[in-house]
This record gives sequence, C-alpha cells and structure tokens, in this order.
Amino acid sequence: MPFNVRDMIEKTGRISSTNQQYLAAGMFTILIMTIPLGAGAYPNTVMIEVAFYSIVTMGLIMLTGFTGQISLGHAALFGCGAYVSAILTTRYLVPPWPALFLAAGFTGAIAYAVGRAMFRLHGLILAGVTLALNLLFYYLIGSISGLTGGAMGIMNIPPLSVAGYTSQSVLFNYYLLWTIAILLLIFSLNLADSRFGRALRSINTHAGGSEEAAQVLGVNIMKYKVWVFVLSAVYASIAGSVYAHYTRIIEPNTFMLQFSALVALMAIIGGRSSPWGAFLGAGLIVSIRQLLREFMPLIIGGPTGSYELIAYGVILVVALLFLPQGLFPIVKKAILRRKPVSQ
Amino acid sequence: MKDEIKQNNIPVLELNDITMRFGVLTVLNGVSFSVPEGNILVMIGPNGAGKSTLLKLISGLILPQKGDILYHGKRINGIAPDKITSLGITQLFQDIQLFSNMSVIENVMVGCHLRARTGLLSSGLRLPSGRVDERNMFDTAMTHLSMVGLEDKASSNPNSLSWGQQKLVGLARALATGSRLLLLDEPYSGLLTFEVNKLNNLILELKKKGITSLIVEHLTDILMGIADQVIVLDYGEKIADGTPSEVQKNKRVIEAYLGEQVTEE
Repeated sequence: MPFNVRDMIEKTGRISSTNQQYLAAGMFTILIMTIPLGAGAYPNTVMIEVAFYSIVTMGLIMLTGFTGQISLGHAALFGCGAYVSAILTTRYLVPPWPALFLAAGFTGAIAYAVGRAMFRLHGLILAGVTLALNLLFYYLIGSISGLTGGAMGIMNIPPLSVAGYTSQSVLFNYYLLWTIAILLLIFSLNLADSRFGRALRSINTHAGGSEEAAQVLGVNIMKYKVWVFVLSAVYASIAGSVYAHYTRIIEPNTFMLQFSALVALMAIIGGRSSPWGAFLGAGLIVSIRQLLREFMPLIIGGPTGSYELIAYGVILVVALLFLPQGLFPIVKKAILRRKPVSQ
Repeated sequence: MKDEIKQNNIPVLELNDITMRFGVLTVLNGVSFSVPEGNILVMIGPNGAGKSTLLKLISGLILPQKGDILYHGKRINGIAPDKITSLGITQLFQDIQLFSNMSVIENVMVGCHLRARTGLLSSGLRLPSGRVDERNMFDTAMTHLSMVGLEDKASSNPNSLSWGQQKLVGLARALATGSRLLLLDEPYSGLLTFEVNKLNNLILELKKKGITSLIVEHLTDILMGIADQVIVLDYGEKIADGTPSEVQKNKRVIEAYLGEQVTEE
C-alpha cells in the first residue's frame, strides 16, 4: 500500500488525497481519450493546441503557483526546445526522440545558468528580467540565421514516430500529445505532495509561505527556486520540441512575448494552485480564441488580430477582479460537492 | 571549580564582539557572551534592545558587520542559514511564520526536510525510496506534534488554530529539525497561563535531553524560575550576564530595566 501524506489527511477536504487525484487523473484520461471518437478533425486540432499550451502552463504553475516566482519569458524556453529539436533533426540528422531529450537537457541547462543569476532578484525586477530574456532569445534567433534560418525559420522538420509508426494525421498527434500531457500532469501532482513540493510551497511568499522560516528549517531556497525553474523549462522545452515535429515548420514570431503573456494568462485564469489549472486555463483561452477568430470577422469585418488582444486584456482584468484564484478552486468545489450525493 | 568546567567544555555558543548597525542606528554594540551546552539562557531587555536581531544573526539570516559567532568552537557567521540549521541550530520566530498554504502536519514535515534526501525525480516519479522517506518524515513529524499535544490538529490549516496552538506547532516544527540549539524569539507572548506552564515544562524537558535554549523575552518573572543564565541588553549593549539571582541584584539592571518596574510598584 503506497503511503502518502494526503491519504492521511484527506478528511480535511481542503487537500484532496492522492488517490482522489489519481482517480481524477484516470477519469480525465478516459475523457480525453474518448473525445476524438465523437469529434471531427477541427475540434481535434484545437485540442492539440490545448495540449501544447497546457504543458507549458503546467510548468509555469509549478514555478508561479507552487513556488511564487514570476516568469514572463516562457516563450523563450518553449522556443529553445523547438529550435534545438529542429536544428538537431534537420541539420545533424539526429532522430526526433533523442533530439527531444537533448533539447530538454539543453534548455534545462540554460535555465539552470540563468536561474542561478536571476533568482537573486525579486518581484517586478525578476518579471522584467524574464521579459528581457524573451526579447533576447527572439533577437538571438534572428541574428544567428546560419543555424536558425533567421526570419525564414526552419522547414521540413521530421515528424515524431512511435514504435516505428509515423503519421502526420491529427489523431496520431492528438494521442501522442495528450499522453505526454497526462504523464506530466501525474509527475506534477506527485511533486506537489512530496518533500520537494513542500519545500517549494514553503518559500511561496505570495500564498502563505515564508522564506525565513523555510531557511531556518533547512530549506536551501536558492536551490529550490533554480530547480523548479529548470523543471518548468524542461516542460516548456518538451512542448516546444513536440510542437516543432508536429507543425514541421517553425519561425521566430511564434516565440514572441505574446506567447509568454498568453501562458501567464492561462495560469491565472485556470488557477495557479494546482497543475489541473493548466488544462482549465488552456482549454478556456484557446476556445475563446477560436470563437473570436471565427465570429469577430463576421461582426466587425476586416482583420481582427488586435481585437483578440483586447479580449485577452478584458478577460485578465475580469479574472483578477472576480476570480483571483482562477477557475480551479471553483471547479474542484463543484466536483467534490456532487460526490457525496452520488455515493 | 566552576571556571575549570567552563574551560574544559567548549561552550555550545559563543559570541565575540558582535556589532550591527542599520544606518545611523546601532542595534548591537560589541556584544559578547557564551552559553554552556544544555543551559537555558534568557535574554531580556526593553523593545529595540537588539534581541531579535541577535537571534537572526545566530541563525544566519543576517550577517554581522563585526565580530564572530562560534558554534561548538567553529565560526558560523557567513554560512548560509540552511547550512547553519544542518549544523543543529534553528529558530522560532516571534510571529511564528507557519506556512498557511499547507496543513499542520506538512508544516512539521518541512521541519523534517534535512532528515531525507528525496529529490526532484524520486518525488515526481514517486519512487519506492521516496515513499519510505515520506513515511519516515510523517512519523517523525507526528512524534513531534504529539510531544506538544497537538496530534489531533495534524490535518488542520494552521490559520484555524489558536495563537498558543500555533506557537506550539512552531516549536514542534523547529524541534523536528533535530536541532540542539533552539533560538526562541518571545515564545511566551500572547500565551494563556496554562499554555505558559506547558511551554515551561516543554523547555525543561528539552534541557533534560541536553538541548540548549536561548530565549528572548519580556516577561522576566516567569522565566527567572527556569533560567540557568540571564543576559540583559540595553540599547544594544550587554549590561549584565549571570545567574537569575546575580542579575536581579545587579545595579545597572535595576536602574535600566527592573528598577523602573520596582519603583512603579
């Protein structure tokens, strides 16, 4: 019988037990895996996008929601994974899967080096530095065009294969991506309820943690900030690599500030306190974006790109005013409330 | 005879000429003292006498501008606070600082942080070694929680506890580190009478186990009974150091601190 704290303290209701978490993850998996059976290619394509954003957002939630550190530069980490995978597979003919792991290792190493320097800073200054790093990445990609293809990007990236089976079909990519997303969800859930996760939460000064108290209890706060940043970077990098192999063409504009802002928005809307928030946030924002892209031209006419941004702004303001903790606590309450009735 | 013992035994804690200034304000001025192992040292002094600063200097949260801090004869100033904790020193803050984003037992389990090594991968993959660590940390935390009589609050959120209960959880969490030197910053403030007695008994219990306590307080009467050694600070300077009865007779102390209370009565 595997032991964990949450089973011991499940009666609080404030913290759900790991078994409940696993049950929820199992039900979620069944739901996700059955969606394509009834849906057409279009919803499936949208869901693939939700999966990409969910993985990056989950990484950000561990950094921001668990640990209380800010990053407005996750597009650079996502882009780093995408570019390293693309360069390795197209220029050096490394097979896609090893390239994905090499990219994750490379991005993680960069995050480690940057994190060591960056986490001496706090709050808004930290946010500013991460923003600057995102810009730095963008211009770096443009300037080393011999390797990155500059503004043209990289084309003809080979697709990922599983057990010798390669496909560019929507279904294949749907199942591949969602399998990765769910595995990373389980990793995050395990981490939250562990020695490592408690150390992260103990230094989250935005949610009731205390850096001083953590330190006198023996927590090396610098180490944990740096390592959660590395982990967050690896999540983003994995998503980036899979993205590159899925679209088979990448170009620098994808990895600009707007992507970082969008991921931050998803974490805020979805709920930073749990990895589950990533799926809620990504699902909602991607859906809204698709609706806007379809219906805005009918209402307004002409290009609607900037209206999309205005809509995000409005959503963010409304969310911060009325749902500062995001959707997750509300959804969780609704699900937990229904449970005793059915039993 | 007494001096001989002191010379043979290296004191658990020794401060040499500690000076600390914040801007123009001198918070500590050339403070030196030593504490033998297993002693209960009570440090008193009016507000702003530099007592809390002194504790944060020992636990490494701030660095002294001048002077040395020795733990078992080894210099510890300049070492990171978490490393100092691993040497066996921990602190209970005046405002406790329990983590309100986790349950009481998880708070105490953070106190067990240094007892295990479970890292990122074994946590995330829930490897068997990590599960064993988790079980052991839970058991250790539970033992410390029952030591302060609050095992039934294990699953509560710290914010739902009374102030006195929070102080006791804070003490359990500090003890869970396995530290041999406890720095207690006003542990008695805000406690009810029965809680004061409970805390007194706990500190005496710890003394029996050879744990040294350095207590910063205002309430002198309660503590004179359990203190082995009393130090009086006034405007950042040590004005007295000795047994409770010695200090109570000290002229400077009577003038600077106790005297005012006596004349008021």
